[in-house]
Amino acid sequence: MISLDKLWKTYEEGEVKTDALRGVSCKIKKGEFVSIMGPSGSGKSTLLHILSFLDRPTGGQYTFSGRKMSDLSDIELARIRNKEMGFVFQAFNLLGTSTVYENIELPLLYSDMDISKRQSVIEKAVAAVGLSEKINTTAGRLSGGQKQRVAIARALVNDPDIIFADEPTGNLDSHSGVQVMEILEVLNNNGKTIILVTHETYTAEFGRRLIRLKDGEIEVDEPIRERHQHAGLLK
Amino acid sequence: MKFHDAFKTAFKGLLHAKVRSLLTMLGIVIGITSVILLVSIGSSAQKLILDQVQGVGSNLIFVIPGATKGSKFSSPASVQGVIIKTLVKQDVESFKREPSIARAAPEVRGQAKVVFENNDTTVTFEGTTEDFFQIRNFALKKGSFFTDTDVDSYAHVAVIGEKLATTLFGGKDPVGKTVRLRNITFKIVGLLDKKGLGPFGVDQDNLIIIPVTVAQKQLLGMDYYSVVNVEAADAYTIDFAKSRVISILRQNHRITDPDKDDFTVNTQEDALSLLGNITTIMTIFLGAIASISLIVGGIGIMNIMLVSVVERTKEIGLRKALGATNRDILIQFLFESIMLTFVGGVVGILFGALLVSLVYVILVKIVATTWFFALPFSAVVSAVLVSSVTGIVFGLYPARQAARKNPIDALRYE
Repeated sequence: MISLDKLWKTYEEGEVKTDALRGVSCKIKKGEFVSIMGPSGSGKSTLLHILSFLDRPTGGQYTFSGRKMSDLSDIELARIRNKEMGFVFQAFNLLGTSTVYENIELPLLYSDMDISKRQSVIEKAVAAVGLSEKINTTAGRLSGGQKQRVAIARALVNDPDIIFADEPTGNLDSHSGVQVMEILEVLNNNGKTIILVTHETYTAEFGRRLIRLKDGEIEVDEPIRERHQHAGLLK
Repeated sequence: MKFHDAFKTAFKGLLHAKVRSLLTMLGIVIGITSVILLVSIGSSAQKLILDQVQGVGSNLIFVIPGATKGSKFSSPASVQGVIIKTLVKQDVESFKREPSIARAAPEVRGQAKVVFENNDTTVTFEGTTEDFFQIRNFALKKGSFFTDTDVDSYAHVAVIGEKLATTLFGGKDPVGKTVRLRNITFKIVGLLDKKGLGPFGVDQDNLIIIPVTVAQKQLLGMDYYSVVNVEAADAYTIDFAKSRVISILRQNHRITDPDKDDFTVNTQEDALSLLGNITTIMTIFLGAIASISLIVGGIGIMNIMLVSVVERTKEIGLRKALGATNRDILIQFLFESIMLTFVGGVVGILFGALLVSLVYVILVKIVATTWFFALPFSAVVSAVLVSSVTGIVFGLYPARQAARKNPIDALRYE
């Protein structure tokens, strides 16, 4: 599904050049749950941004579902983000004054889905995260954990193949964090590919493969065998 | 993004900041209100002026001494204060012999104090002949007009307007009474019916009209005329009569080169079209002044939209991450500003109409002056168009700023 070939990302500020990614190569198959870890400045956020088509690499080749990113226009990237990708952010990024329904509807505004079909799709997504009774509540009035579950429902509503989660538990207490991770785990069990960026080991261990970055290069790429070690303790 | 969604999104965006949206809209409301109000006042004034010119008489030709040089907006030399003595009795007599001309009446004018017993007031006196009353559609309330015999015999008789009669005589009948004008005694033979404002705001009810001969020789000391009013005969076109007037004057004044004409001949239509042009320019000018406030309102919208774009940077980033293209974001913000200006425009039209009605009621019912209610449809339509265009013009820059935001920077924005 994802193929990275010597991916480089160099930021230029004036005369100062910083290499955020230095020739990253790897392949991710459909249905994988990959946790990306690494210290601050290791390039994990940069990698996630490129993988999710929010940014372009300055070197190397990125192929997503058989399409080379370099061949795609900005509009095509936006279409793919809308139809094939889902996003979960650390800060939830909900529209605080809109209802749960309206927040989940957001990706559908930019899709070509028929307006008459929207309601059932949204209700299905909100049920999947267990918030059906909050569907008409203003997002700003929800708890942190509920907000992140709405964000997951929003990521699911277009039925994407892949979900990118950027520190999804970073703003949550551990109990809510575990709930959110369990939802992601269920989604993965149902066939969704999940790419998770985190700096928390217990969150990362919900994944099945760990990629550890250091100074813009892959330091470790290995399967996670001992799962839920810390998470189990927190339950 | 579908139109329905774009509309809904923009509407919600505005609704979330209600007070700000209303205050921003206020600029456009004031702009459109003032455009509507001033254009309406201009149109009313135009109708008023044109009606007054039309009310002067029919088939009228005005002969004014002095040539008009330059464009049609220039005025004859005599009007500009130069004394030109070429228009004389012989010219009027020639006009009267011309078959295409029904009547001709010379006019001289002056200002003087008119006295009756202990009352006095300064008025305009008009020296003219019998034909003047017919040509200018004056009607009598009491008594009679003076005749050409009175004119030829230098009779000290006068016809006065209703307002002047009230000033001098109170409620009493003025006919048969005598008044003094520059120490010459005049017997009042006729009282005019109420006629209202004449062209250029001359109050036709505050006049004293006397034989032209007396006015020329005994009051003003001159032997020329300031204007000759000519009425074309019905059987001839006014343009033919005008050409005859010109030929007669050239013959009498021995002019062979048309460039050396020492007179100006205007028909009522000429005056109407000239005044129409002038008042249209005035209306446009008023509208243009009011448009300044519309531009200020537009800049206000741009200002607020720019602030809004910065405030909603994170939302823009989110929408882009979720699949919005630059175009979708541009449309969302453009819709917001167009909606503000469109609604502001409609509210402005309503307020404008309200003020126009108020001005009408105050002027007609309270001040009791002549005024017209004018709310030109074209002004309403252009107000809506202009306000929407203002939305597009002043909304485009902030919307482009929003659309150009990099999604990652926007998402990271705190």
